[in-house]
Amino acid sequence: MSEAVDAFNIMVYRQLKRFVRAKSRLFGSIVNPLIWMVFFGLGWSSLFKGSMAKALFGGYSYLDFLAPGVVMMTVFMGGFISGVTVLWDKEFGFLKELLVAPASRTAGMAGRAFGDALVATIQGALILAAIIPLARDINPGGIPVTLAAALLTGFAFTSLGITIALKISSMEGFHIIVNFIMMPLLFLSGAFFPIDPLPEWMKVLAYLNPLTYSVDLARISMLGSGSMNPLIDTVVLAASSLILIGSAALLFREATID
Amino acid sequence: MDAIVAENLTKRFGELVAVDHVSFKVKQGEIFGFLGPNGAGKTTTISMLITLRKPDEGEAWVAGLSVAKKPAEIRRRIGVVFQDPSVDRELTGWENLWIHGVIYGVPKNSLRRRIRSLMEFVDLWEKKDTPVKHYSGGMVRRLEIARALIHEPEILFLDEPTLGLDPQTRAKIWDYIEDIRRREGTTIFLTTHYMDEAERLCDRVAIIDHGRIVALDTPENLIRRLGGDVVYLHSSSDRLEELASMLSETGLASDYKIIDGKLMLSVRDASKAMPEIFEAARKLGVKISEISYKRPSLGDVFLHYTGRSLRDSEGSWKETARIVVRRRR
Repeated sequence: MSEAVDAFNIMVYRQLKRFVRAKSRLFGSIVNPLIWMVFFGLGWSSLFKGSMAKALFGGYSYLDFLAPGVVMMTVFMGGFISGVTVLWDKEFGFLKELLVAPASRTAGMAGRAFGDALVATIQGALILAAIIPLARDINPGGIPVTLAAALLTGFAFTSLGITIALKISSMEGFHIIVNFIMMPLLFLSGAFFPIDPLPEWMKVLAYLNPLTYSVDLARISMLGSGSMNPLIDTVVLAASSLILIGSAALLFREATID
Repeated sequence: MDAIVAENLTKRFGELVAVDHVSFKVKQGEIFGFLGPNGAGKTTTISMLITLRKPDEGEAWVAGLSVAKKPAEIRRRIGVVFQDPSVDRELTGWENLWIHGVIYGVPKNSLRRRIRSLMEFVDLWEKKDTPVKHYSGGMVRRLEIARALIHEPEILFLDEPTLGLDPQTRAKIWDYIEDIRRREGTTIFLTTHYMDEAERLCDRVAIIDHGRIVALDTPENLIRRLGGDVVYLHSSSDRLEELASMLSETGLASDYKIIDGKLMLSVRDASKAMPEIFEAARKLGVKISEISYKRPSLGDVFLHYTGRSLRDSEGSWKETARIVVRRRR
């Protein structure tokens, strides 16, 4: 048992170390969401004005509406992409080191996912701090809940990234994943626009997307209200995390080398 | 007790039989080599012994434990250096070893000492805080060797330990491998496609081709059966034939061939035979314009035991490569 804990902890250590080492990656992961917030957010908010706009965005200005979405986008992309970097571990060999180790593979993979989730949460917190001056209605008391939701979100999507990376076998697959999985998940999450007015088929997809519940939970905690029950959001997120880390661990347990 | 026992070990990839009913024993404390061309089945054999692939047929015991039944216990007792680097390039050398030690359950206090002693052993202690991406190829290899030893394995597996390294670095790695056995008494199983490496390091060598062991003996015996070295002698003299038959009558050369004014002599030991060749040539008045000799290479050994040259077998490894590529899709 203590060996499994060691394997978990050491993988958290590894992911945090890698994060601290790669300053350019840290910079990129923060600049990208800021660009969205400033150019996309300010751009549309100059169009969405007055009471009609507030009716569209649940009673908030567009910038306020967008802020929780951008925080969760940061966490989602950070977690998902670091999960997919298992592809790099495959390509550059570190995965073999784990595969031949006596330690529990499940514990190791869970540790990796948790380490990346922590990193993604830190990125989300930095973005949150940066956009508070832009979005005026953010409730500071809701920040801890937002960060807890971020951690769960990070964990879920790192696990998804790992699962996908273990399934595919070429580095070339990376861009396909980004374009065909990451972007649709992002756009169908309610981060940029409300889900309810969408066409029926998009709505169905949005409700199947765990990120929808993260964004809603962040909106509830940061602004005060969202479109669903926070309890449902939490349960769906926790369940998705479990299922996704489970599938990642299962795949990793059966993995062999090539 | 034997460190490794393999009985009829077999692995298939589709139609290709990568390892074909391979049986051998490795004694404790021995340096045992698997020698063969690319695609002969060396890496596949290793991956079955280190419990990363399940054999389709046959059984193997590593450190007395069955690979089929006790993979976790085996992993604790072996160290592995893969053919391709398997370090985390973003982390420092020290951090790589630390992670390894913790994963293998080495107690933290002794782990610190062990890391220092092994990093000093492979001359990397001064580079301990440098990220591995700034290491040279030889340094990465040394780090991986140190890493594989952190948890004091009984058996060390090295897959092509000097592939792609320059000659000085290779010699250095050979020294380390010999030192490891001296220091720790570790049994070492290595694969290589370099004859000189096998000859320098291994107590015994198995020559593997198309997934089968075609010969297994000490390097000296394998080479002795080839009849030693080949001396190449160039001359424009017309008494070359006479010189050759004279040398073979005295028993110095076991065989000879003349092609386009070039005499090839098979001798036991070229360094001792060459002065006598000069002497005989001087007596006959044969003016030697050029002389050289060659130690038998893997190519020669391989030819001897398989009846095919390495070049002929290239088709087969390309075929293997293609299958591997297909499997990756």
